[in-house]
Amino acid sequence: MAAPAVKAARGWPVLALGVRNRLLRFPGLTQVRGSRYGPEYKDPQVDKEYYRKPLAELTEEEKYERELRKTQHIKAAPASKTSSVFEDPVISKFTNMIMKGGNKVLARSLMAQTLEAVKRKQFEKYHAASAEERTSIERNPYTIFHQALKNCEPVIGLVPILRGGHFYQVPVPLADRRRRFLAMKWMITECREKKHRRVLMPEKLSHELLEAFHNQGPVIKKKHDMHKMAEANRALAHYRWW
Amino acid sequence: MVCPQGFTASVTLTLVLLLPSMLTEWQLSVLVLLYTSPTCNEDENLSVSLAAICFPLKSLLCLLPFLYIFLVRIHHPGDSSLSTVFQIAAVMLTRTSRLVSGARRLDPGRLLHAGSQAPQSLAAPLDNQAPDDSPRAVSRTSEKDPARHGEQHEGLHYNIPLQDMRTLFPHSLPPRFSMQVKTFSEACLMVRKPALELLHYLKNTNFAHPAVRYVLYGEKGTGKTLSLCHVIHFCAKQDWLILHVPDAHLWVKSCRSLLPSTYNKQRLDQPAEASIWLKNFKTTNERFLSQIKVQEKYVWNKRESTEKGSPLGEVVEQGIMRVKNATDAVGVVLRELKGQSSLGGFRLLVAVDGVNALWGKTTLKREDKSLVAPEELALVHNLRKMVKNDWHGGTIVLTLSQTGSVFKPRKAYLPQELLGKEGFDALDPFIPILVSNYSPKEFESCIQYYLENSWLQHEKAHTEEGKKELLFLSNANPGQLERLCAHL
Repeated sequence: MAAPAVKAARGWPVLALGVRNRLLRFPGLTQVRGSRYGPEYKDPQVDKEYYRKPLAELTEEEKYERELRKTQHIKAAPASKTSSVFEDPVISKFTNMIMKGGNKVLARSLMAQTLEAVKRKQFEKYHAASAEERTSIERNPYTIFHQALKNCEPVIGLVPILRGGHFYQVPVPLADRRRRFLAMKWMITECREKKHRRVLMPEKLSHELLEAFHNQGPVIKKKHDMHKMAEANRALAHYRWW
Repeated sequence: MVCPQGFTASVTLTLVLLLPSMLTEWQLSVLVLLYTSPTCNEDENLSVSLAAICFPLKSLLCLLPFLYIFLVRIHHPGDSSLSTVFQIAAVMLTRTSRLVSGARRLDPGRLLHAGSQAPQSLAAPLDNQAPDDSPRAVSRTSEKDPARHGEQHEGLHYNIPLQDMRTLFPHSLPPRFSMQVKTFSEACLMVRKPALELLHYLKNTNFAHPAVRYVLYGEKGTGKTLSLCHVIHFCAKQDWLILHVPDAHLWVKSCRSLLPSTYNKQRLDQPAEASIWLKNFKTTNERFLSQIKVQEKYVWNKRESTEKGSPLGEVVEQGIMRVKNATDAVGVVLRELKGQSSLGGFRLLVAVDGVNALWGKTTLKREDKSLVAPEELALVHNLRKMVKNDWHGGTIVLTLSQTGSVFKPRKAYLPQELLGKEGFDALDPFIPILVSNYSPKEFESCIQYYLENSWLQHEKAHTEEGKKELLFLSNANPGQLERLCAHL
């Protein structure tokens, strides 16, 4: 988790970043971002299969873990996390990024309509294709979604670094979560801005996802542009110190 | 072996039930013979129960106990059980031969999916199923004629050819169902209890009595409109004339062009809706249009008129070409059909979806912003006359619908709530038919249908856990299930 941000109340000095939140529970200091849980709090286990295992089948480690969890502090599970078999963390993250103004209902319905649109388009292609081509047509909207986002992830990114009064765009290897975030962000921005007023979001999103699945389309082009810029600024790579 | 009767029966039953897996058929039949020795009991019930247990034996050795009993009975001619033994033997022969061929068609995979289907198919006579039913397709039946649908087809899907769909339902299917038809390239309807009940009533209608009104009601998404489509398909196959209003709510809201009626100054015309309806009517009942002749002269304007005795097709053409007269053309068609159905030349089916629109409120306003009541619309006025039961020679099948209705609460589904006092009194007396959510068997069949068409693509949807979750999320509501499965 990122270091918690702290807003000082009037009259109190701001403490340095990186201080543990336990020491900040003074009156007058409010925490703005970051987790309120201390390090001893464990993540909740929502997997039904974990609890369905009969006691006889557990190994020693698992039995120990179960006993330990009975006495540990456990964080509250967020409302968006379910023990449904159809739950997908990537889809949930994407839905949250589509959401505007906290309207999760709308975001979820848009996501569902997008997946349905992808499925129907692929079924149409499937029925129109011959027997040899049918084996190569993927009809599962979830595999298409995951593959499309994976295809859109950049390998290397650019970071502005201040040297001598100027900001230079330095090529930098990106962390996994940053790559996933960039892929999703580019996809959503592309669909929001570059569509006609009358075209609905699910239709545009499904079209872009299918194109990205086949390594074509504007989002893939953006990824390639990013790679080319990083290649062009190769000389500045030594500005990176980490 | 002399032993008390009840004890022997229970002991043999339990032994024979438990032992078949361990003993061969020879040994079983020897055991049975020993137990049916004449000193033990003269009980027909025991012999019949033993016969039932010997069913699974795939050889004629199961007949041995009966032959033995039969021979024994011959030596005791005073017994009246001889005829019953004959009957039992005859039934045994036929059933074993059928089962030997039928047992090969069943396989464990079918039993896993079918659940309650399996004992039913074993018990019911096997020749009611269409002969080319594939053993794995538990959710489909190859019986294409709705007239032959019976209780054994309940829960199964039957295929309507796409050509029939285009003639019977031009632009009048629920949008999600028409999307499904387009995606799967086939139109399959599930045979369900309310539709079967309606078909039974329709098959036994007395056309000399006034038209009976049937009202399909139920909560949202339970399948009222598709049951109506099933009934319409049946009537089309039986060569009835079909007067189908796909959605009466479309006539009482969002009408762009409202003209004062040419026929009656107080009423209003809806040219667009009327011409669309006339086009669909023409597509559905092409062949009746030349057979039925109008019985009066109708003058449309100074230059055009339809003479008495000309075919009904001319009136329909007039309405389609001259959109201003479309509403009056609809009125003429309805009046002619009502008058002539009693003569017996054809049978008339009046099918209206969302009939509660005729007696509610409208959202239409005149130019002076005053609200329009439904009876001031000429189309609604004429349809109300059609739905009255003062004619004979046909039936009226109606559906209530909250989905497209105006000013009705979301949870309302009962006839009294949706029709209001006025509508209920106008439709009284009618036969209400409740359409409810899927039964467990129908739910299984629906899931099986989606799996066959590869519609459920999520890998977890194939598992038991996934099915349980779908059942929980949709509460076996057909509409909700369809929406859930669309994105899975």
